[in-house]
Amino acid sequence: MVKVYSTPTCPYCVTLKNFLKEHNIQFEDIDVSQNELAQKEMIEKSGQYGVPVVDIDGQIIVGFDQDKIKKLLKIE
Amino acid sequence: MIYDLIIIGGGPAGITAGIYAARKKLKTLLITKEWGGQVTKATEIGNWPGAKTISGNDLIKQISEHLKMFEIEIKEGKEVIDVDKKDDIFTVRDNDQAYEAKTVIIATGKIPRTLNIPGEEEFKGKGVSFCATCDAPMFKNKNVAVIGGGNAGFATATDLIKYAQKIYILEFFPEMKGDPLTKEKLAQTGKVEFIVNVAVKEIKGTKFVESLTYEDRNTSKDHKIKVEGVFISIGTMAKAGFAEKLVELNKIGEIVIDKDNYTKTPGLFAAGDISDIKYEQIVIAAGEGAKAVLAATDYLKNKQ
Repeated sequence: MVKVYSTPTCPYCVTLKNFLKEHNIQFEDIDVSQNELAQKEMIEKSGQYGVPVVDIDGQIIVGFDQDKIKKLLKIE
Repeated sequence: MIYDLIIIGGGPAGITAGIYAARKKLKTLLITKEWGGQVTKATEIGNWPGAKTISGNDLIKQISEHLKMFEIEIKEGKEVIDVDKKDDIFTVRDNDQAYEAKTVIIATGKIPRTLNIPGEEEFKGKGVSFCATCDAPMFKNKNVAVIGGGNAGFATATDLIKYAQKIYILEFFPEMKGDPLTKEKLAQTGKVEFIVNVAVKEIKGTKFVESLTYEDRNTSKDHKIKVEGVFISIGTMAKAGFAEKLVELNKIGEIVIDKDNYTKTPGLFAAGDISDIKYEQIVIAAGEGAKAVLAATDYLKNKQ
């Protein structure tokens, strides 16, 4: 299960989501600017405020770290 | 393999250079840490010909898609750490690979200037932010400080108004340098406190930012304010250290070029905000990227 915590305005969030779409990865798109509970959850999980945060089966990646994301999702 | 051209950077200068290089049929590699850089942080751009208003993200999406139409090799998410030249061939290194080319264009742009005070690096992403456009929503009902009372600081505060409970704007000089009209608008919200003539000294916290200490430059007394966010908006800086062996840097770290984008090393060019051109605009950076490729093309021709 892939969750993306993001805000509508953050540039890396857009890049990240486009990247996932390009590779046909389904993900839950959580807008933390609208959802305070999810915002708290994201801060707790990642230990920081910055978006995007990706949760791939419980593994947390902060920012658009393409190499790590590729590895975890087994994208060539 | 030896490329005709390696372009370093994926902002307007680098992308435009890529488009020109592809149309010139140069064997090209573009290496970039990210797409767009500073541009992506602009909420609204009103001076890019052809688009009446466009967001930075959309503009970069458009021009990078234009670039990707062409057959050009691209390495994304890679930061160049060294550029060197030996026997007319350049070696460009990122963290895991080295590439060779006959010409190189540096178009890495500028990055946000840092304060270089304790706590700044430690709490980056944990309350310290350089991008209000990105992070403002995370500070709902919180107290925050904006460092820098210029137009950039005012824009940061404007992004924060919707969310933060209270915003302190701290300025080093005795007066806010930003547009008085914007200042008035900010003041009218009743959320903003303007503090001038202060030097920010330290950002403190445990897991996240909890407070900020500044010195009043009149009295030399320290003051502490309780904030959970510190937004640093004190302009930008050039970081071209990776090429220092081959270029001349001016006193603010920009690469010195001539009117045709040549650096002091033949075959090495710079374009856009990383160079010492005076005016930093998206459309100018794009034009400079084009110029650099035309110059590189001439250089390659003369070498043959």
